[in-house]
Amino acid sequence: MFRFIIRRLLITIPTILVVISITWVLIKLAPGNFYSGEKRLPAAIEKSIREKYGLDKPWYQQYGKTMWNIVRHLDFGTSLRFEGQSVNTIIRRSLPVSAAIGILAYLLALIVGVTIGSIAALKQNSRWDYTSMALAMLGISVPNFVLGPILVLIFSLSLYWLPPSRWGGFPSRNLILPVLTLSAIYMAYIARLTRAGMLEVLRSDYIRTARAKGLSEKDVLIKHALRGGLMPVISYTGPALAFLLTGTVVVERIFALPGLGNYFIQASLNRDEPLIIGIVAFISITLLFMNLLVDIAYAYLDPRVRYH
Amino acid sequence: MSRINWKQLSALVLLAAMACTTLSCAVASSNEVYFGKTTPPARNILRYVTGEEPESLDPAISNGQPESRIYMALYDGLVEYDPKTLAPIPALASHWRANDDSSEFTFYLRRDGRWSNGAPIDANDFVYSFRRALSKQLASRNAYMAYLMKYAQAYNEGAVFVRDPSNGKFLLAKDFDEHLPPDPLAGSPVDAAKGEYQTTAEESQEPADSAFHQAMHTPLRLTLPGDEKARTKLLNADAKIKEAVTGKELVPVKGEDIGVEAIDKYTLRISLTLPAPFFVGMLAHQVFRIVPRQVVEKYGNQWTQPAHIVTCGPFKVKTWQAYHTLVVERDPMYWDAATVKLDEIHFYPMSDNPTIMNQYKVGEVDAVLNHTVPNAWLDVVRTKKDYMDGAEAAIEFIIMNTTKPPLNDVRVRKAFNMAIDKEAWATWRKIVKPLTAFTPSGIFHEYPQPKGDAFNPDEARRLLGEAGYPVTKNSDGSYSCPKFPANQIEYIYNTQESTKNMVEWMQAQWKQNLGITVPLRNMDWKTFLTLRAKLDYVGFARGSWGADYMDPFTFLSLFYTGGENGSGWSDPKYISLLDEANRTLDQKKRYELLAQAEAFMLQAQPIIPIHTASVNWVKKPYVKGMYPNAASLYPWKFVYIERDQAKWDVGTPSLAGGY
Repeated sequence: MFRFIIRRLLITIPTILVVISITWVLIKLAPGNFYSGEKRLPAAIEKSIREKYGLDKPWYQQYGKTMWNIVRHLDFGTSLRFEGQSVNTIIRRSLPVSAAIGILAYLLALIVGVTIGSIAALKQNSRWDYTSMALAMLGISVPNFVLGPILVLIFSLSLYWLPPSRWGGFPSRNLILPVLTLSAIYMAYIARLTRAGMLEVLRSDYIRTARAKGLSEKDVLIKHALRGGLMPVISYTGPALAFLLTGTVVVERIFALPGLGNYFIQASLNRDEPLIIGIVAFISITLLFMNLLVDIAYAYLDPRVRYH
Repeated sequence: MSRINWKQLSALVLLAAMACTTLSCAVASSNEVYFGKTTPPARNILRYVTGEEPESLDPAISNGQPESRIYMALYDGLVEYDPKTLAPIPALASHWRANDDSSEFTFYLRRDGRWSNGAPIDANDFVYSFRRALSKQLASRNAYMAYLMKYAQAYNEGAVFVRDPSNGKFLLAKDFDEHLPPDPLAGSPVDAAKGEYQTTAEESQEPADSAFHQAMHTPLRLTLPGDEKARTKLLNADAKIKEAVTGKELVPVKGEDIGVEAIDKYTLRISLTLPAPFFVGMLAHQVFRIVPRQVVEKYGNQWTQPAHIVTCGPFKVKTWQAYHTLVVERDPMYWDAATVKLDEIHFYPMSDNPTIMNQYKVGEVDAVLNHTVPNAWLDVVRTKKDYMDGAEAAIEFIIMNTTKPPLNDVRVRKAFNMAIDKEAWATWRKIVKPLTAFTPSGIFHEYPQPKGDAFNPDEARRLLGEAGYPVTKNSDGSYSCPKFPANQIEYIYNTQESTKNMVEWMQAQWKQNLGITVPLRNMDWKTFLTLRAKLDYVGFARGSWGADYMDPFTFLSLFYTGGENGSGWSDPKYISLLDEANRTLDQKKRYELLAQAEAFMLQAQPIIPIHTASVNWVKKPYVKGMYPNAASLYPWKFVYIERDQAKWDVGTPSLAGGY
């Protein structure tokens, strides 16, 4: 197990360097510059800007400098758009916002989703099952840029109960609508995954054995069935949580939240090279780390899985 | 009951619920006088949405409008914009004088100007700030705004003078360029007996002379590129200069060479390369607002961090949370603190229009930036008494690539222009004014704006036929133009809902009146800018421009180029007309010459004008002293919260009268 973790961590580093390099190339290929605007700048000013930010150097020097600072100092440099603001500071500042909303949304999705999914599986083909699965289908189909405004329309603009947008610190009433909007699709997905997992497990031999041994139905369900039935949910949690932690572009935009996702989309539109690279690197680290956690959790939950 | 029916049912229920809420919301709000809540905030705080997150709090860095408004709260300049007309009003300069041909200006500073840390402000702060804004190291995107100052452009470009080591004399520009306009008064020898300033109410004496002043009053020196490669290329192309330069020494243009001088602690003199009567109007621009030398030199690019920043405007930084709130508070050190009525302004960086409008409706913000009310909301919001209507110093147009067929034929370009019914477009868009020229309508009142070709589909079809693309009428009344290579051209624009509506509308006009369907292609803003700048498109591209300063030249200067304007069109006659206009002192005559240049450009038709924009924003009725001026720039010291309902603004406040 220990060797497995070490090996996985060692693969992670080159993976991230490759991701960064590909991102770097893609940015260089994208047309436009962070300084371009409606009126074209005089050539001399454009030249001064390129000199100031080292964009006049040959590509291998720019690439080398970027990579060296990342590898040697974990320093992603200074944002091009936001004069004097370091990428590391920007990430450190905006991560808590994204993480707070992401984790809350996922917890909510997990609790509601697993409950609904389990009930649906236990009462398969009942009215309960159909209702909850229809709702889940709806949750998956309605995108959050539709759901968000509908919630705002109802709870903020018509009823005046909740603020329609903006960050209000943690905890605050401002969190409710974005968390609901964000969790809907995950809730629905988890409900469906739980239902499918549970149905499969409930028909398996070891559940029949557990029942034959005379265990109470509660023990059978919670200790044996749920544990097996949640396996698909666990493997879904890794990437889902990684994406939620690192910011959700649409929800942060609709609710004007100062999270990573908002920065990410703006940085791409602004061609803010160091910021894009910094955020991409951060997201990929989180993603790889989450996947590792999922694999470890697998080994813990499912006795059939062993790592060498 | 099968699952499918269940799903359909739930979808129907949800749709019905959505429809009900939307409907009830629309109905409920249509009875109200204002859009949403109108409870004033408990304290004298203005919560304002200014647009995108500010790039920097350094006034020399950003050229964006959201930042301009923040800089106006934090920094003062020699002059400030009038809240209604945007004409220059006194700020750190209490009064000023122009010399007889408006090529030199002397500013008299107030003595009570102070930085937010209490340090006094004097003329040297201006000298430092102007030199810094123009330095190559800072690489400000705004630097070109200051190019009128003598040698400012040369310094910004890192150019060199040429000096004869034998007698210490500099080579002069006029000896190498016969098209160069004659030197203005500010570049001619000082005539001490005659003087160059008229006596004014405040000042009767000629400003003090100085060695620097004498040096400025010499003919314009020759400058060459500082970059060796560029210089060699230029010298190889011009034998006369090459010969003259051989054996001479090259002297880099320094910040000290720029035509700005502190005559004494409270008198500042600015010398220009050309006469420019409109120069004072430009001085409220952010690039001319001052920054604190000691703080900037101590902290480098970190000086704008809230812990370090020192400012000189009516407000100073209190807290700054990126992408969330910039809080500025009243600065007791400000020279005009008595006028400042707000305790704080909270600037909210937001850019999603519906989100901003929601925030406004529930009363969480008091005013929002221009262009915020979405198209689909206008029918409701425009009827409210807090909707801000008014012409903006901004235009929307279509650029054509004049270097590639079929649009390299002026007849084709004219046909496409005449085939668009701009009146109908303006009616459909509700808030804009139709435009046939290249300067906005109703902004520059004395300016004799020329008229471009009007909507004339018959003439458009005739012109196309003349150009070799005959338009035929079909039996059903529609038109077709089979010979026109519509599939080889396109209409490019940046991804944005309101722009999409517009280009589709134009496409429909061409289809209807010419029988030509131009393919549309949208792309992200930066990609779009690159394709357009490199003329990497065939056909049409979206164009828009908002005034940098209140003069028609800010629009006409877009084509004051060698063709680097997205259209590939350039004409020496256009440029010489503009030059001549800018050398003309008489404002009326100058405007006439500018109008001639504009008419000339419209005849060449590198662009299709569409409309003069509208400011299109909302503010709560209790926000007073904030006017829907043509540039959407507000001197914040005049803004206040009115708690007496009887004095609230009902409808768009008038721009007439004093402030």
